[in-house]
Amino acid sequence: MKARLILASTLIPLGLIIAAVPENTTKPYKLTAEQLLEEVNNGTQFLSPDEVADMIVNKDPSLQLIDVRSVAEYEKFSLPNSINIPLVDILSPEWESYINQDVKLNVFYSNGTNDANQAWMITRQLGYANNYVLTGGLNYWTETVMNPEAPGNASPNEEILKYNLRKGAGMALGGEAAETAPQMSVPGTKPPVQKRETKKRVQGGC
Amino acid sequence: MNPYLGGVLLGLVLIVAFWVSGRGLGASGAARSGVIAGVKAIAPGHAENTAFYQGFLTTHANPLNDWLVYQMLGVIVGGFLSGSIAGRLKFQVEKSPKITNKTRLLFAALGGAFFGFGSQLGRGCTSGSALTGMAVLSLSGFLSMAAIFGTAFGLAYFARKLWI
Amino acid sequence: MGPLVVYEIISENTNLLLAFIIGIGFGFVLEANGFSSSRRLAGMFYGYDTTVLKVFFTAAIVGSVGLLFMSLFNWIDLSYIYINPTYLYSTIGGGVIMGAGFIMGGYCPGTSFCAASIGKLDAFAFVGGMFIGIFIFAEGYPLWENFYNAQFMGTPLLNEMIGASRGLLTLVIILIALGMFWVGEWAEKKFSRDDYKLNQ
Repeated sequence: MKARLILASTLIPLGLIIAAVPENTTKPYKLTAEQLLEEVNNGTQFLSPDEVADMIVNKDPSLQLIDVRSVAEYEKFSLPNSINIPLVDILSPEWESYINQDVKLNVFYSNGTNDANQAWMITRQLGYANNYVLTGGLNYWTETVMNPEAPGNASPNEEILKYNLRKGAGMALGGEAAETAPQMSVPGTKPPVQKRETKKRVQGGC
Repeated sequence: MNPYLGGVLLGLVLIVAFWVSGRGLGASGAARSGVIAGVKAIAPGHAENTAFYQGFLTTHANPLNDWLVYQMLGVIVGGFLSGSIAGRLKFQVEKSPKITNKTRLLFAALGGAFFGFGSQLGRGCTSGSALTGMAVLSLSGFLSMAAIFGTAFGLAYFARKLWI
Repeated sequence: MGPLVVYEIISENTNLLLAFIIGIGFGFVLEANGFSSSRRLAGMFYGYDTTVLKVFFTAAIVGSVGLLFMSLFNWIDLSYIYINPTYLYSTIGGGVIMGAGFIMGGYCPGTSFCAASIGKLDAFAFVGGMFIGIFIFAEGYPLWENFYNAQFMGTPLLNEMIGASRGLLTLVIILIALGMFWVGEWAEKKFSRDDYKLNQ
């Protein structure tokens, strides 16, 4: 009798507690506010138009451009091979496999930087990796890649390279034709695709 | 040992098993691994061709290198330890005094055959499906539990000569 | 953070070693509670020995309460725990056949290995029968393959089916189990037998 009573008096209160307390659903891979602030301060999420143009010219298969503007704006003009995920729909389940993956480098872009950066913050907070923001958005893109400034003759090599690259990209994207220049690759600043750690699935059963 | 204390200890063992490997205890899987390893050793050609063994051998190169098999070896050692500490080591047949040893052994083997067949069909036995299943609140665990104990209660009247 | 092997805190081989150690604990507890005795196991169904009921259900409720508390303190991630899949027909069909085997043989696989380790000859017979039974299942597999794979319901949890939270269902099960313990103790007094000594 005594053992039963001890058992009952321990388990019933424990059971009441466990029934009353809501379940713990915090996932360990989500970011805390501090971690997110640190990343925002470092600005590591930004990719310049040069880097993106480089990937387009080299036909890098890991690039995936994501247009976060509205459907109407996307249909009027969009970057080649980009998909459209309007910012308001970014958390919808149909897009989850695009923004939460470890195969491609997603680059969000919008007209300016704001909307794309917001998309990045929301997805980063959920712990998704491999998402980046196009610095300056389409406005800056048009300035630099589509209509690049021709550098003067005395400019350093880098500038000339950059100009040729932008011209090349612009040509690929339908800009003016450029004089052919020796192809020299801009030192690669492409960030690596972070492999998401896949947890082992346990086997089980009897 | 007081059964309630025993139950608490068993529950703790179960929790440790989940914490370490994400799976609970089990028993019939080890027997199945044994059968498959045996068939593979004796008649490998047959093992390749029959659907049941095939399905298993493609995912496990060595059927004996399985979590449950090691756990079962531990059970045998643990049972032996406890038996020797308590002085219960003895070769004997346990049964009701009203039947012969032979009858008891025959029914034990028959019961084993039923249990072996049923555990494969039900994908688990009392430890793996019922106990572990109930601890994680899975529907399959409760169904298993109800089916096994319910049937045993129902047939108890017919088998009473074996035990009482 | 558990499960340890999923978060790669221990290696796969350590996992197998720990399986052995966990097995020792399992076997020890089973034997120390007398689960190596077929008369005790069968006694559950005649009322003269309800040890099985007490140990089994106490273990189940301690297990479920323990897991939920560990999840609360972030010591284990419950989404990685293995949940048995539910195949409606084969679970119930297998359960019925197992119940028949239980009352005839007086053992279940785990306890039979445990009893065999202390020398019970009927346990040896049970284990031998088990291998034969599994062999029969494997050989005739195509005959019952359809039944085996019928009605796959995924891995539903009981609390999802009745729309409650895990904690609430655990509380209900605790209360039901405690109720059964009181009934069990009453049955032991009522159905006790002269030729059977309840040694606890």
